[in-house]
Amino acid sequence: MILAVTYDLWSYVSENWEPLLRGLGRTLLVSGIAIVGAFVIGAVLGAARAHRVPVVSQLAAVYVEVVRNTPILVQIFFLYFGLADPIGPWPGIKLDIFTVAWLSVMIWGGAFNTENFRAGFEAVPHRFREAGLALGFSRTATFFNITLPIGGRIALPSSINTYIAVLKNTALLYVISYEELTTVALQVNALTLETAETFTVLAVVYLTLVWSLSIAIRQLESRLALPEER
Amino acid sequence: MSLPDWVEPVARYMFQEGLRGTLRIAVISVVASTVIGVALGTLLTTRFWPTRTLIRFYVEVWRGLPIIVTLFMIFFLGPVIGNQLEFDPFTAATIGLTLWGSAQVAEATRGAVQSIPREQHEAASALGFGWVGRHVYVILPQALRRLIPPLVSLLVGIILNSTLAQVIGANELLESAERSVERLAAPPPSGIFEIHAIEIYGAVMVVFFLICFPLTRLAAYLERKLVA
Repeated sequence: MILAVTYDLWSYVSENWEPLLRGLGRTLLVSGIAIVGAFVIGAVLGAARAHRVPVVSQLAAVYVEVVRNTPILVQIFFLYFGLADPIGPWPGIKLDIFTVAWLSVMIWGGAFNTENFRAGFEAVPHRFREAGLALGFSRTATFFNITLPIGGRIALPSSINTYIAVLKNTALLYVISYEELTTVALQVNALTLETAETFTVLAVVYLTLVWSLSIAIRQLESRLALPEER
Repeated sequence: MSLPDWVEPVARYMFQEGLRGTLRIAVISVVASTVIGVALGTLLTTRFWPTRTLIRFYVEVWRGLPIIVTLFMIFFLGPVIGNQLEFDPFTAATIGLTLWGSAQVAEATRGAVQSIPREQHEAASALGFGWVGRHVYVILPQALRRLIPPLVSLLVGIILNSTLAQVIGANELLESAERSVERLAAPPPSGIFEIHAIEIYGAVMVVFFLICFPLTRLAAYLERKLVA
């Protein structure tokens, strides 16, 4: 039996663009939700870590270490096949596939982002905070007006790297059959057997997304750099 | 408190088959990534731009793609291109992780080599070393100091990412866990008709944590000690 020996990217794309585009849409949707969530988690827990808020800081440290030192694939398995199992021990927790999809990558990104923001907030010179307090700002106002804008900028490059990793990690949602780009592309491949074309499309799309985000980081880095570092 | 009867055979299977598979993938990938990555990273510092462009492309591609896509590519696309490129899941996973790992090491090596002052290069040249001798005997031994922390981090990254081999069917720790969950869920006589997904996947997380947490700490410690 002779399988597809021809390589015709154009006919592959023109015949399969609809499901692939839907898959790309879901990849971007899940990444978007997870990135926003990871930003919030990172900013809140990073602040708790940097300012050593009792209890919250320790819990955040445990969360960060557990997520960073276990494979994200196992985390997805644990969430989906363990916790979310409708006939499992906790049938009360009903997580549908979409919820597990964004939640799992958000939890992962949040842990890495907590570290990014902690490092960023801790890098804010102490004298800046003292100046804020001396001017009569409350501790909260000092955080929002001084530590967050300065520390957030310091944390920006590393946190964008985390967002890029979140985007790449959505490909792992293949294992729970969530129909994002990789899952859809492999489904199309199973039907058409046009393997070379399938992987050309996958590689081009992912590399375009990742590379353009990396370029954006460098642009943003020079633009948002702290005045004294310019 | 005694453990239920199903625990012991499952644990033995996961350690003997699964953990061995994970370590096999991880060890080979780490060694191969280091060797290839150090060579490519050193070549990234040459003045000859075609070499640099080519290696830069290699690094950006394998760092940019999700590792799972790389694994699928090797596993599914290899046989389409040629019969000799048909790999078993273990080999495909090792190749994929090595492509990713060597890209990481290359980038770290470039930074480490460039951090060595120019005088070292000049002194080595003055002693009559060629490009290869200069790097092998003078520059790399000094750069190694800066390279150790990222190499430990790479080890952690590869151990964690070796679970991706499960997706293409290699029997590593996660795959052995999944098989155990499915087996226990089967009706007797082969199973016991019970679902133990939380316990078993939880145990997998614990095992990975016990391996990786000390290594992450070690990397942070070495970073403070060797680099600062």
